[in-house]
Amino acid sequence: MLSRMTNVWRNIFAKEKTDRDLDDEVRSYSDLLAQERIREGMNPQEARRAARLHLGGVEQVKEEVRQARTGAWLDSAFQDFRYAARTLRKNPGFSAIAILTLALGIGANTAIFTLTYAVILKSLPVPNPQQLVRYTFRSGTQDLGLSGPLYDALRKHGQAIQDLLAWTDSSLSVQENGAVTSVDGALISGNGFRVLELQPVIGRVFTDADDQPAGGPNGYQALLSYAYWKDHFQGRTSAVGRSLIINGKPVTIIGILPQGFEGVVAGERADIVMPLSFEEVLNDPQPLRHHPGSFSLTVIGRLNPGATLGNAQSNLSATENSVRDEADPSHRFLGGFFAAFQLGVESGRTGRSALKLIYSRPLIVLEILVGMVLLLCCANTALLVLARVSSRFREFAVRSALGASGRRLFQQVLSEVAILAFCGLMAGMALGWIAATSLVSVLAAIGQPPPLDATPQAAVLAFTTAISVLSAFVAGAWPASRASRVAPIVGLKQNSAGSSSRALGKWIVPSQVAVSVVLLAAASLLAQSFFHLRLQDSGFHSENAVMAEVDLTPNKISETVATRDAQRIVDALTAAPGVDSAAMMSSPPLKGWWSSSHYYSLDHKGAVHTDLQIWPEVVSPDYFSAIGTPIREGRAFNRADATAAQVCILSESAAHNFFPGEEAPGRFVYTGGSDASLDGKSPASPENICQVIGIAADARFESLREPPERAIYRIIPQNEVGPDFFLVVRSSNVAVATSAIREAVRKAVPGAPEPTVFTFDQLVAAHLHQERMLTALSACFATVALLLTALGLYGLLSRNVIMRRKEIGLRLALGASPRDALVLVLRQGLRLIVIGGAVGLVAAFATAKLLGTLLVGLQPSKPLLLIAAVALFFAVAVATSCIPAWRAARVDPMEALRYE
Amino acid sequence: MSPDQSNDQTNLLQGTLDMMILKSLALDQMHGLGISRRIEQITKGTFQVKPGSLFPALHRMEEEGWLVSSWGESENNRRAKYYRLTKAGRRQLESETQRWSRISLAIARALEAS
Repeated sequence: MLSRMTNVWRNIFAKEKTDRDLDDEVRSYSDLLAQERIREGMNPQEARRAARLHLGGVEQVKEEVRQARTGAWLDSAFQDFRYAARTLRKNPGFSAIAILTLALGIGANTAIFTLTYAVILKSLPVPNPQQLVRYTFRSGTQDLGLSGPLYDALRKHGQAIQDLLAWTDSSLSVQENGAVTSVDGALISGNGFRVLELQPVIGRVFTDADDQPAGGPNGYQALLSYAYWKDHFQGRTSAVGRSLIINGKPVTIIGILPQGFEGVVAGERADIVMPLSFEEVLNDPQPLRHHPGSFSLTVIGRLNPGATLGNAQSNLSATENSVRDEADPSHRFLGGFFAAFQLGVESGRTGRSALKLIYSRPLIVLEILVGMVLLLCCANTALLVLARVSSRFREFAVRSALGASGRRLFQQVLSEVAILAFCGLMAGMALGWIAATSLVSVLAAIGQPPPLDATPQAAVLAFTTAISVLSAFVAGAWPASRASRVAPIVGLKQNSAGSSSRALGKWIVPSQVAVSVVLLAAASLLAQSFFHLRLQDSGFHSENAVMAEVDLTPNKISETVATRDAQRIVDALTAAPGVDSAAMMSSPPLKGWWSSSHYYSLDHKGAVHTDLQIWPEVVSPDYFSAIGTPIREGRAFNRADATAAQVCILSESAAHNFFPGEEAPGRFVYTGGSDASLDGKSPASPENICQVIGIAADARFESLREPPERAIYRIIPQNEVGPDFFLVVRSSNVAVATSAIREAVRKAVPGAPEPTVFTFDQLVAAHLHQERMLTALSACFATVALLLTALGLYGLLSRNVIMRRKEIGLRLALGASPRDALVLVLRQGLRLIVIGGAVGLVAAFATAKLLGTLLVGLQPSKPLLLIAAVALFFAVAVATSCIPAWRAARVDPMEALRYE
Repeated sequence: MSPDQSNDQTNLLQGTLDMMILKSLALDQMHGLGISRRIEQITKGTFQVKPGSLFPALHRMEEEGWLVSSWGESENNRRAKYYRLTKAGRRQLESETQRWSRISLAIARALEAS
């Protein structure tokens, strides 16, 4: 094998030397033969002639030797490539356009695939990830974690699985050089790394002994991610054994996790991993590890050898009831607020991904759109190459007359396309990487690092290379097969060239038109859906409002203190110059928070109305003027309410739910205890009764895509808030509001962490970034499609005008007006556009249906926007056809006739 | 491998040329013309090998690793390329010879039987 390789090497790369050697050998043979004859008595001249005669053609002998050598095929391919490269260099315009076209298609596909891979396809970097399963607790698109008791119960009942781990991401406060910084961290159950089968780079990973209250006899232990270790400890081995202060507790570093492992939740990185028992420190004084109503654990199991996901599923459905009973014996949570949530088990190969749930469908849509773009790019390249092949028909005819085989001509054209595709691959990869990086940074939440790793992966490189090879073949095979079938006789007939390009154009250009129309329709549909969400009434009229998150969790304060601090901050803000109104709220809108409470009412007819899922919002008195939600009936809060008996404001839908057809203001709603107590006419204790004083417009707290929640507003300080709350400030100027917020927090709560400030518009933009990304990208794709199609149409018509120059000249000479020539070309262009457009419109309706099933909340298409998009397309296409048509009209009959 | 086809000369069977070349190199190294003459001599003029068949075969066999070549001086001080058998070439000659005698025996029997 090796010797064969060196043969190939010698035959191709040391070609000249081997050829000279062969030449010498044949000449020496001939000399020796002549000598022989001379010895036999022939005169020297005749002897040499006889020797040459006996040899036959020296060149033929040499050629036969070359053919017998290894790698003869490679040699000719090499020759073709060199020739192709030379031809392409001589036509820089053609090459640049073809490469750019392919680079666009390949780049766009690379970018989208990078995201798809990172979000949907990438496995966890652990051994045998296909054995992993993930337990879910979801209702519709809501995918909560599991509670600690659910995890324990599942672990006890799981039969198809070896073991289950629990994981939860949490930010940790690390004391470093005197300053406290927040580090992305996670907690994992003691058996976690055994389940993942993950070995540390240095040190050891956790065992069950580390996952004990107070971290076991040696205190808490910690693991570092590879990246954090490199960053903060310069990759020194001595880091293991060092001590850190995390959330006020001394912990010891016991190991470094392998490179590439950033946790089991995609989009959340964990730089420091602590045992699950550390949760008692994080949530001190109310640990939630054993709380049946706290759902925050990602639970992943490893299947028994030979067991399948189906086994785990049937095991789960067989044991679900006992699992639920054990996890929440009173059924207060699993039977109450969370009754709609189902336990499930699915493949855990990719871990858990918050992004996956949100983005997998949009990504599928993008993959379809970007695939169409690639198709267009290939079609355009095919048209370009075809045009070049037909302009070189004479060359191909001459070569075939001189004995080039059809296969050789095919190989020749394909080599040219292969070179173009290779350059396109290089440029496209660079383009795709840049695009993917910027896309990932768009996905990042406000002020957060990018949630995904967009660095090129082997899988992405393989994908990109594969699509490049595919596009080279798609774009090259047709023109190449045309070239290979050129009959020598064609070379003699000058004017037959190009007929094939027109025939093919008949198919390619309308197909391009159709694909473009589909892309335009999809883009208009997505844009329309985005603008609908963006412009609909959210219930908040706070376009100029500035918001801030104040997270006092690290201060370890009680709710009473948190409420007092919130009150102080709001007072300081209200007094600040330049602030029109300021308020606080307990749960922010559009930030993915989910909050739910339980209230009931008694209407005039004596019927009890219970609401298990009402959004409870605790606010300060000026909330409604600050956030801009209008009061429909009754009144807003005032300062006196804060100290009087409990009052509340209901949202319109909540009021309608509690008091159907009745006046709500002045009535009472109840919470706590059971609604059954109402029947006994012994309602709950005074703090659980509140009087409705007003009705506010509905507002969309959770999502702009969903109908508004029913909401109940109550005020501080009678109602307390947690240590993580939000501020709303209305002011004429964002900068003034921002500095007022920072100043107020600093003054009111000394030692508080810096608040995170953002505008309401930023909040909405971040909330809708899925739609924004889809809209922006599909608009990009549609624009590219439009340009490519226009380019294809322009090229085809221009070539036709050039080829029919003589015919047009003749027509003009025979009395046709320039207008007739113009119409002749325009009509040809229009026919292509209309055929393609008709097919495209039909396909566009099918696409709209498909998109409707893929994207939840997509608005039904309004024909107006689609018509506008198609009209735009026709305008561009007709304008494009006008240039060659105008040229046709200007053909000088005399010049055209002299052309012959 | 297209051999001469004049009157008393015989078409070389497929694969025979390789065997002839190996056989002619069995004793000593030789240049191209020498090999061709030697084949004529050992087959008593039945086979004549033309350069158009000889050189491709030599180069192919060299690539197979059966022969090695080197430049040297001929009998009358001419530069010539000499071919020599390698170990692999000798093994090849042996197996070809065995195969060939089996075939010729079989053919002879077949002809006798009729």
